[in-house]
Amino acid sequence: MAVKVLIMEDNPVARSFLCRVVRESFSDAQQITEAGDLESARQQIEIAGGPTGLHGVDPFKLILVDLELPDGNGLELLHELSSYPATKIVTTLYSDDDHLFPALQAGADGYLLKEDRFEVLVEELQKIVRGQPPLSPAIARRLLTHFRGSGNDASAAPEPGLRAANAAATGTKPTTMNKPVDHERLTPRETEVLTFLSKGFTIKEIASLMGIKWFTVNDHIKSIYKKLNVSSRAEAAVLASKQGLV
Amino acid sequence: MAAPPEPVATVDTGAETLIAGTDSSFDASAFEQSLDRRPPQRWIGWRLHLLVVATLLGCVTAFGVMHQLAGSAQLDAVWQPNARGQLILLSSPHEDLGAQAGKTLDSLLLPGQDALRLDALALQRTARWIVDDSRRQRYLQLQDQLAAALAQGQVLLRFVDGSTLSVPTPPRGYRGLGIVFWPLTAFALLLYLVGTAVLLLRPNARNALYTLMAWCQALNLLLIAAEPAGGIGQPAGFARLDLLLRMSLDVATATAAVCVFALHPRRLPHAGAVMLAACGVALAWVIAGPGGALPLSWAGTQAVVLGLGAAATAVITWSHRLQPDPFVAVMRRFSFIAVATLGLVTLTVAATHRLGGAAPAVAAIGAVSWSLFFVSLLLLVPFLSRSRRLLREFALLAGIGTVATSLDLIFVALFSLGPLAAIMLALGLSLAVYALARQWILNQMVGASVLTTERTFEQLYRVAREVQDDPGRAAQLLSGLLHELFEPMEMLTVPRRLAQARVVGAGAALYVPLPSSGADAGAAAASSARLDLDQVLVMRHASHGKRIFTHDDARLAERVVDQVCRAVAYDRAVEQGRTEERQRIAQDLHDDIGARLLTLMYKASDREMEEYIRHTLLDLKTLTRGLAASNHTLAHAAGEWKADLAHRLAAAKLRFDWRFQADRDLALSVVQWSGLTRILRELVSNAIYHAQASRVEVDLLLEQGELLLQVADDGRGGDPKAWRHGLGLGGVRKRVRALGGSVQWQDNVGRGIRCEVRIPGLGERA
Repeated sequence: MAVKVLIMEDNPVARSFLCRVVRESFSDAQQITEAGDLESARQQIEIAGGPTGLHGVDPFKLILVDLELPDGNGLELLHELSSYPATKIVTTLYSDDDHLFPALQAGADGYLLKEDRFEVLVEELQKIVRGQPPLSPAIARRLLTHFRGSGNDASAAPEPGLRAANAAATGTKPTTMNKPVDHERLTPRETEVLTFLSKGFTIKEIASLMGIKWFTVNDHIKSIYKKLNVSSRAEAAVLASKQGLV
Repeated sequence: MAAPPEPVATVDTGAETLIAGTDSSFDASAFEQSLDRRPPQRWIGWRLHLLVVATLLGCVTAFGVMHQLAGSAQLDAVWQPNARGQLILLSSPHEDLGAQAGKTLDSLLLPGQDALRLDALALQRTARWIVDDSRRQRYLQLQDQLAAALAQGQVLLRFVDGSTLSVPTPPRGYRGLGIVFWPLTAFALLLYLVGTAVLLLRPNARNALYTLMAWCQALNLLLIAAEPAGGIGQPAGFARLDLLLRMSLDVATATAAVCVFALHPRRLPHAGAVMLAACGVALAWVIAGPGGALPLSWAGTQAVVLGLGAAATAVITWSHRLQPDPFVAVMRRFSFIAVATLGLVTLTVAATHRLGGAAPAVAAIGAVSWSLFFVSLLLLVPFLSRSRRLLREFALLAGIGTVATSLDLIFVALFSLGPLAAIMLALGLSLAVYALARQWILNQMVGASVLTTERTFEQLYRVAREVQDDPGRAAQLLSGLLHELFEPMEMLTVPRRLAQARVVGAGAALYVPLPSSGADAGAAAASSARLDLDQVLVMRHASHGKRIFTHDDARLAERVVDQVCRAVAYDRAVEQGRTEERQRIAQDLHDDIGARLLTLMYKASDREMEEYIRHTLLDLKTLTRGLAASNHTLAHAAGEWKADLAHRLAAAKLRFDWRFQADRDLALSVVQWSGLTRILRELVSNAIYHAQASRVEVDLLLEQGELLLQVADDGRGGDPKAWRHGLGLGGVRKRVRALGGSVQWQDNVGRGIRCEVRIPGLGERA
């Protein structure tokens, strides 16, 4: 059975380029669906089983989302698809953390920079699908602040109560009543990996510096991705229940 | 009459618990309590009802007295005593009597009785200030007989020359009450209401004592008001009642003063014994005086009142010794002044009572003005911390009033001057004294403001500038400024929210809301437009405990904080506007030009063109990133450079060695950041595309402000300028020059080429 891929990109030239990248990346037979805006992407997803992907219909396995779309931001779609069982990848021209961090929070499994060369893109895409997502120093720094819970980032400033809880967690008493669930915190190893990443070290360098295998470093990065996603979902839930949405 | 202004929250108890705690260790729970405790529910419910009832009661009483007085008969004429104590008729609205002006009155002829001789005693307004006990008895008797005679409606006057005249004695009427009656009655009602309000607001023992004092003095004032304004004649029995009441009220007030100082602002050790002793003295006076067989002794009464007053002063001094408190200090001064002036008045009255003429009358006026002085003190106490101006006005009034009165009395007593001359001279002298001692009096009353306006302004300006540079230190700088402004004995900050600055503990402490402190807060404040006031600065005992905080101080402190916050907010708004504008430009560039370049790149006909466009695109991204983000530190930038270069070199299958060392981290300006980013990119691009190298080595070294960047490759070497694509190298030169540095290329040891960029003083121009 062919692997279903959804490519969402408004620029037709870029779209066909990305199609080439996807075809080049996988040896399996592929069924590529293209969408030029959010509206048609939503339609395609509806056909393929709805945003939860649980209708028994063959869902997309890979979704490439452009952040800047004519009828909205790709982030919206990522939020809608937060529980969709596909590898979601952000394709963007913006490589700075201000744009990428919210996308990762929204559940993206990785990102591709559109200006990269064809071969580089193919390689990166394969890595992400294999579970080796990229993590730039800026984003690593952002993640460190996020999990330290100082709430310094304006765009994702946690709600005060939560911030207090996080602050308590970093204190001396980890067994307080309102301590956050474990998956919201990073292990010391993960923090170490993030610190190295923020200084610009590559995976291999980190592996040798920490005396571990490079795929272990990758596991840590994957785990960080997951925790970010989970913690931001929990945050969203807290926020929603505060606003009476849930 | 209007209800007293803002209910008297200063004569309360809760705030005092704060002060009552051990002085140095601050009781946080008391603070919480006092902060949370809203003033009682203003004037609603039973308080309002009771106040209305009390007001009605007061008005009815005043009206009753008024009615009684207006209905009493009197001999309507103006008299003046001569040297022998005889009465000379000056004028009368009654026609027949007016015609007799200038004659000397001998007696009142009563049908079927002895003639009633009238002398200066008949003109005496009250028995309270008649020193001689036998003379006072005669006065009371005289007033009784006069009242009985005047009640007939017609009296027969006999003059010294033997002529007689029958004069009608009509009721006095409301106009006959005199001009002074109305303001005095109003004053009495005001005092009565303030006293009532204080009790209603917080019913407790100390406030009850204050209320007792207020009521006593209010009644006293009403009695003073009811003294006959002119002419002869009082309502029957008024003179006796007046004497008894006024003496009792004075004794009661003095007793209450002792008790209140034993309880307020803190309960003294042995307070019970002190209070019991005071009550004992008062009781002894009652038993010996009005209750006993002895006639009321003026000297005895004065001795008791003065003794109790001195005791009250001693008690408050003791209280101050136990625990210095600016409120107590002011109260001590008040009570000392009150007792001392009363002593002076008593002495003068005693000294003048044997003199003939107007002297005794003037002495009595002195006593009345002391009464007024004391009443204003009483009225002032609940509002002590509300306004400094009130205190200043009062200082003026009290200063002039007391000095003038005492001087007047002394002149009359010692030099036998005429009343008018004495008053003029006394007023002149006292004004002169006041002008000389004004500053001293003000300092004594409220304490001098330490900072001049000019210096305050300078400080405020300086602090505002500093806070703009570093919002995280706002709280620290502000507390420093407020410390200089008020010089409190103790100062601390508590994490709490407070809507506005407040004076608590009867002026002992001032709470001022402050912005939060610390680097974290600074960062948070930088992102939001205004400072968040989420802690409270507690200052206690202004001017090293010599002064009490007033509501003016609270307002001033609030303004200072407000001004500083506003200055910061303004600066921040400007900066935010700039940032937003830059971000908009960056966004536009990125979205429009970036998307087009991307399309161009995908459609590029050959590899070289594609690389060229990619390079342009990267430059555009650097440019927009530099526009959008405002702060980069060298360490962060180095991390990004390393990751970026590693990514590119890995894609080009080159080996990459990176070394970064900095003796300190520094913030790069946008120009520096984008310049270095592009220099680095250019040099590495050259290594990739033109040098045909297999490895690239980048060394970044910051030492004592000088940045040394070396990019070395193992490529074909040679003169870089001779390369076909020397365009990029020109860019490198230009950028290095713009950063104030130098660049040179040289042959690498072994193979390839090494580029060295040196930028001295990178940190200074950041």
